[in-house]
Amino acid sequence: MSVAEVVLGRRQLFMLPTRFGLLFALLLMVQLLVAINYGNGLAYALTFLLGSLAVVSMLYTHRNLFRLRLSASACAPVFAGEVAIFKIHITNDSDTPRFGVAVMHAKKEIGRVDIAARSSADVSLNVSAVKRGWLMLPEVTVTTRFPLGLLYSWSRRIALDHFCLVYPRPADPTPRQPREEESLESTTGIKAGGDDYIGAREFQPGDSPRHVDWKAVARGEPWRVKQFGAGYQATVWLDWDTLEVLDAESRLSVLTRWVLDAEHDGMLYGLRLPEQTLNPSNGEPHQHECLKRLALFGLKP
Amino acid sequence: MNSAPVDRRVLLSLIAAGAMAVAPHSFELPPWIIAVFALGGVWRYGIEFLRWYRPGGLVRFGLMLLLLVAVFRQFHTLLGRDPGMALLITLMGLKFLELKTARDFFVGLFVFYLIILGSFLYGQSLWLGGWALFATAASTAALVHLTQPTGLDMWRRLRLSGAMLAKAVPLMLIVYLLFPRISGTLWGLPADAHSGLTGMPDSMQPGSIRHLSESSEIAFRVSFDGTPPPLRELYWRGLVLTDFDGRGWQRNATQAAKQEVSFFPLNESVSYQVTLEASNKPWMPALDLPATRPKGARYHPDFTLEHRAPISERLNYSVTSYTRYRTGALDATEHAGALSLPRNLGPRVRALAAQWQQESSGPLQVAQAALDYFRRENFVYTLSPPLLGDDPVDEFLFDTRRGFCEHYASAFVALMRAAGIPSRVVVGYLGGELNTAGNYMIVRQSDAHAWAEIWLAERGWVRVDPTGAIAPERIELGIDAVRRLELQGVALGSLSSEAVQRALALGWFEFIARHTRWYWDYTNLAWYRWVVDYGKERQERFLTSLGLDDISWSRLTGLLFVGALLVMLVYAFLLLRPKKSVDPALALYLRFCRQLARAGMVRAPHEGAIDFAHRCAHRRPDLKNRMDAITEHYVRVRYGQPTGADELRAFKREVATFRV
Repeated sequence: MSVAEVVLGRRQLFMLPTRFGLLFALLLMVQLLVAINYGNGLAYALTFLLGSLAVVSMLYTHRNLFRLRLSASACAPVFAGEVAIFKIHITNDSDTPRFGVAVMHAKKEIGRVDIAARSSADVSLNVSAVKRGWLMLPEVTVTTRFPLGLLYSWSRRIALDHFCLVYPRPADPTPRQPREEESLESTTGIKAGGDDYIGAREFQPGDSPRHVDWKAVARGEPWRVKQFGAGYQATVWLDWDTLEVLDAESRLSVLTRWVLDAEHDGMLYGLRLPEQTLNPSNGEPHQHECLKRLALFGLKP
Repeated sequence: MNSAPVDRRVLLSLIAAGAMAVAPHSFELPPWIIAVFALGGVWRYGIEFLRWYRPGGLVRFGLMLLLLVAVFRQFHTLLGRDPGMALLITLMGLKFLELKTARDFFVGLFVFYLIILGSFLYGQSLWLGGWALFATAASTAALVHLTQPTGLDMWRRLRLSGAMLAKAVPLMLIVYLLFPRISGTLWGLPADAHSGLTGMPDSMQPGSIRHLSESSEIAFRVSFDGTPPPLRELYWRGLVLTDFDGRGWQRNATQAAKQEVSFFPLNESVSYQVTLEASNKPWMPALDLPATRPKGARYHPDFTLEHRAPISERLNYSVTSYTRYRTGALDATEHAGALSLPRNLGPRVRALAAQWQQESSGPLQVAQAALDYFRRENFVYTLSPPLLGDDPVDEFLFDTRRGFCEHYASAFVALMRAAGIPSRVVVGYLGGELNTAGNYMIVRQSDAHAWAEIWLAERGWVRVDPTGAIAPERIELGIDAVRRLELQGVALGSLSSEAVQRALALGWFEFIARHTRWYWDYTNLAWYRWVVDYGKERQERFLTSLGLDDISWSRLTGLLFVGALLVMLVYAFLLLRPKKSVDPALALYLRFCRQLARAGMVRAPHEGAIDFAHRCAHRRPDLKNRMDAITEHYVRVRYGQPTGADELRAFKREVATFRV
């Protein structure tokens, strides 16, 4: 079952002693034997104090994960072959700070955070995007050994309902077969990569820090990236049918490459796929829309 | 995580915890063992922070062999308590040099817990218990540091460890009180489990009791079932001395153990529990005369109790005594022993005794004549008598006439024997200090006393305390009063009782000091009863007092688990319940509103903070600036951009200083 948000309740959490917990139990046995043999009241007291300490630490360990809220935040689309970075968001709504909360995936620790009272922390989970389409956030578990390391508490496997869009892997540069109706007229528009300021968009991981609008950041506004461009001319059609010799996946790869090139060159470009057509346009949203169509082409929704 | 190297700051926590764990052993083990441990810690510190030489595996192995040899040379064995602790501590010191992974650290900390436990094998004082609690908290804090190297500074780690230990204490108490105890040990205790002490001597030489009386150490404590008898009846019988060599008195070692108690009680019995301090002597003082034989004791025909072995640790026993009694007949050897005198006894003594014998009609009159003689002839009771020579009885009776209880008892018995009356010296303790804090009596070594017994055909042994003739204060008020009177230069036996009361009245400082001492002593006794002596018998007594008669293992274990579970449920409720937390800024603002409400300005439920401030400013223009400042601050902290703790603290100050 996958949901957008999971709160760790009693039913989601388990606990067992760690190896050191078992060693500690052995220590207590030795201490108890000494206490019994010497009939030593203080030795009994210390033994029972340490035993009680371990028992009390169960509550602390449990509380360290109890009622943590897990969610995931938007994952920037990636190309197949790249690594998708999921952000898992752990929120602590309580007044008790949480320490050493480790997020595990496939038995490996992917991040360890301390979360102050009434605050939250992020853990990134890197997943290799192998295939185009939707990449699901893999199941994770949350674990802790806090405070004494004698006990190990972990959560049930948590599947958050979260996906990352994986674009097809761009093919090597491939010459494009022009189609007849393509116009070479100069059109007013914007081409990325010029010198003129053409607006700003939201910051995405991977953007050059040089283009971040630092002044706005300093004012406390959200991170934005300044975009520069210049006028451009051409309109092209990127057409599935022009790539008859190739199989479907390769065609998608080539089309992906073309979309990227066209966007880079500042052309107006349209996309033609079987039963789908995107009219020529340009810019970030258009590129994303094209790549998304290519990513999801032929996949069941 | 288990094999990853550990943050070296954790090492500091570990070394600190180790120092605390090992510290008490520095009083018990040879200094070089502690030094090895300390050096190990310092060396590792140097390696980590000062780039000192880091020894390789071979060097460490060599050092280990060296330590084994050194420990063996010290103790001539590697088994037992002392060598065991020495090995644990020195090898842990060596281990400092190679601690690397989390596992090493965990094992190290567990060894510290074991070392703390080891210190209890040398003593179980209240101090040690307190220190051990700190040491445990330090080791636990280091455990926290090891598990959680980030996010918690030292104080928060210590606080967390302290809070967890505090929560563990109630659970510990349940288990401690209910965990089934066994009597005896699992296997033999090592020979070095106990060590030497001092106590009442086996014989009485001139000066031996006075020497004892200089010690304010506690001899034993007594809890009476019911009201304690008056001070003058508290004659604690220690041992009876019959053999006299002219100077000193010895026990008659040949007397056979008697199983049957042969005296007729003449009044109500007195029952009490004695907690005897370790003395390394077998005497078990009991109120004159004991009628029961406590476990592990022998009952001698002279009505004294002797433990089967020297008392090397505190001993608890219950006795029932009768303070008025009539004893039976003497057999021939006893009779002869109670009359024997050394040949070299001074002629003046014999002449005096013979004179009384002629003048009197019976033994009782002779005894009375002796007491009158002490009273009449300018004898002085003093805590600092002059030294006596070869014939102390003669010298004391006719020359110095200044003495302590032992002089009087010794001289009295010598006179009685010279007059043909069977008699003997009894040493023990007289009186005691009633500790009102715990309603029990403290008897100190300074309460040591010697008195006489004469044998009368119709009454058996009769106690005669010649000291009473000279210094009735000693019997009525106790040694402490005598000491204080003597310090004030007051002659004993000469004062009216009001004058004595006046002289003995305590100043406020003495009063406080004395009560503090009592409470402290009571704490110690309680500590002893509930910690050191809490074994099978005491546990049974405790459970019976709770109304639990059937004390089977299964019942105890069941109780134990139910108790522990209850405590855990309470904790779970406290720790895991969702807290209704109020925004701190809001809480402060509400405090501000309460101030205003007291002045008649009540904020309506729908009213915003700024509107409210405006309204209040109309009514109290004098406060406008302050109120506006607070309101603005509140709005900024609560609704504005996230602010730091400083801002909130400033707001708090502002509210705290606001007065209507």
